[in-house]
Amino acid sequence: MSTVRQSTPGPIRESTFGRDLSLVGWQIRYEQRAYWRNRSRGIFTFAFPLMFLVIFASLDKGQTLSSRGGIPYDDFFVPGILAYGVIAVTFINMSISTAILRDEGVLKRMQGTPLPRWAYVAARIGSTSVIMLAMTFVVLALGIGVWGVQLRAGALPGLIVTLLLGTAAFTSLGIGVTRFMPNAESGPVVVNLLVLPLTFISNIWFPTDSLPDVVQKIASFFPIKALADGLQYVFDPRHHGAGLNGSDVRTLVIWSVIGVLLMLSFLRQPQGEVV
Amino acid sequence: MSWSISAADHLRAGRSTPTLNAMNSYDNKHTDELAIEVRDLRRTYGDVQAVRGVSFEVARGEVFCLLGPNGAGKTTIVEILEGYRNRSGGEARVLGFDPAIGARALRERVGIVLQNCGVQRDLSVVELVEMYGRYHIRQRPADEVIDLVELTEKRETRAKELSGGQRRRLDLALALVGDPELIFLDEPTTGFDPAARRQAWSTIRSLCELGKTVFLTTHFMDEAQYLASRVAVMRAGEIIALGRPDELGGRDARPAEVHFRLPTAWSLGDIPELPALSRSIDGDLVLVQTTEPVRAVNVLTSWALEHDIDLGHFSVTQPTLEDIYLELTGSADEPAGSTDHESTTEEATV
Repeated sequence: MSTVRQSTPGPIRESTFGRDLSLVGWQIRYEQRAYWRNRSRGIFTFAFPLMFLVIFASLDKGQTLSSRGGIPYDDFFVPGILAYGVIAVTFINMSISTAILRDEGVLKRMQGTPLPRWAYVAARIGSTSVIMLAMTFVVLALGIGVWGVQLRAGALPGLIVTLLLGTAAFTSLGIGVTRFMPNAESGPVVVNLLVLPLTFISNIWFPTDSLPDVVQKIASFFPIKALADGLQYVFDPRHHGAGLNGSDVRTLVIWSVIGVLLMLSFLRQPQGEVV
Repeated sequence: MSWSISAADHLRAGRSTPTLNAMNSYDNKHTDELAIEVRDLRRTYGDVQAVRGVSFEVARGEVFCLLGPNGAGKTTIVEILEGYRNRSGGEARVLGFDPAIGARALRERVGIVLQNCGVQRDLSVVELVEMYGRYHIRQRPADEVIDLVELTEKRETRAKELSGGQRRRLDLALALVGDPELIFLDEPTTGFDPAARRQAWSTIRSLCELGKTVFLTTHFMDEAQYLASRVAVMRAGEIIALGRPDELGGRDARPAEVHFRLPTAWSLGDIPELPALSRSIDGDLVLVQTTEPVRAVNVLTSWALEHDIDLGHFSVTQPTLEDIYLELTGSADEPAGSTDHESTTEEATV
């Protein structure tokens, strides 16, 4: 039995906002360590999109898209996979991991600590944003370096705004959708049911320009197509502006609002009463 | 049935019981004496009354134990006090705070060991202890806490690679790293092997030496007996007895039982006069009930030596806490003290 020094009881000073922000910073580091160490999650969310990128982009190398004025196929496919990669590390990663944290009682444990709930949520979102940036960096490095995709400096605002809005929408939706997962085991099923069918009508794997109008209309209600279209707009050599497409931005903003509302309704549930 | 017993009675005789009015802020004067106050606490789940009007107080520095079979309402009470559940009625104060409000200042002062509660599985023991320590303004060094729960060897091991008992010790480390004044332990040794339980007990005892208040729930009789300064026995959402383990249910005033075997050459009538409430024989096994066991045994053994009689299987027993407990909870068919008890399910969680 080791001996323990006597503690110093008495009043505890109150935390400051600055200290809470530094707690968020520390928590992001711990969340990062936990993410990159979990091999199966890393493969499912980070490696999968890159694998698709390498396979499809290699197959399609040199082809052009006649439905889009003969632009190189890679100018369509690389931003499409970037969209999928962002969705994988934000929506898919966030929803599945949050359901696991909830089911294993980690959220309940966190609720009993002095770390404010907002700080914990901010750190989870911050950590997801770091992973999103890593995904963007790898996809763009491969796309530009290996497949000769062009990124105009003038289109950078479009890239940044679209990625930010996509991350906001899909991260908040990812937390919010946990409400509809009865348990963590159903997580991957629920997520794939929501994401996979839509990717086939949302300009992710192949151009959906030739699909029936009604299908394209349905797809355009959802944020997956908005993110893919928004990113493809940035890389489309036929455009010369800031790379911002109004309708895509609008859809992503609307889904960000929906996502935040869903997220708040999930976070308001006290963890103790759930179980 | 409603109980109202002052925890501080035997510690601070003569002090008036503080009232419960409006103490939502930290009140040094008040919290100097009582860690927990509960008055007529109630909790219903739909039609089920899980807690039916429970009252008790816990003094600072005490190890207070809620003892009862599974489903008696122990976890509901402890989770109300931890702020995880809302109460349906009555009042509760923890270190002077209303736990339902969940003030951060309260969470700074309380350490919680929940049942079946996970951690971030991909982080190591030392990372987790440091991480949870950071949340607290007042914290203990991670390595000191790891040493305390004897996980030094597993310092760099990921949480998911720990055994069940090691995970439970990690739970305790995470509850202690914030240097809490009050520690909630909900069935802390369920699933432990006997050696691990002894270790956990000595750790918990060392907490008391540090002046910590410990609020413990258990369905192990020996655990309550060994650790608690006071025990509240629960059955069906009510406290049916409350007191020191050795006094519970008038245990100290119960008659002792003297058992021995009488060789066939002798009969019950040959035994001399001795201070006994009753004496009986079943086959060759004699049972003497007495409130003066020392005198009775002296008479018996003197007589036996004088006549060179071998009183086989000679024993003197006081009723155990388990006898009292089973009598109180009226569940002799449910051996609530058995260590091979696998089930950790608890409570009517509706």
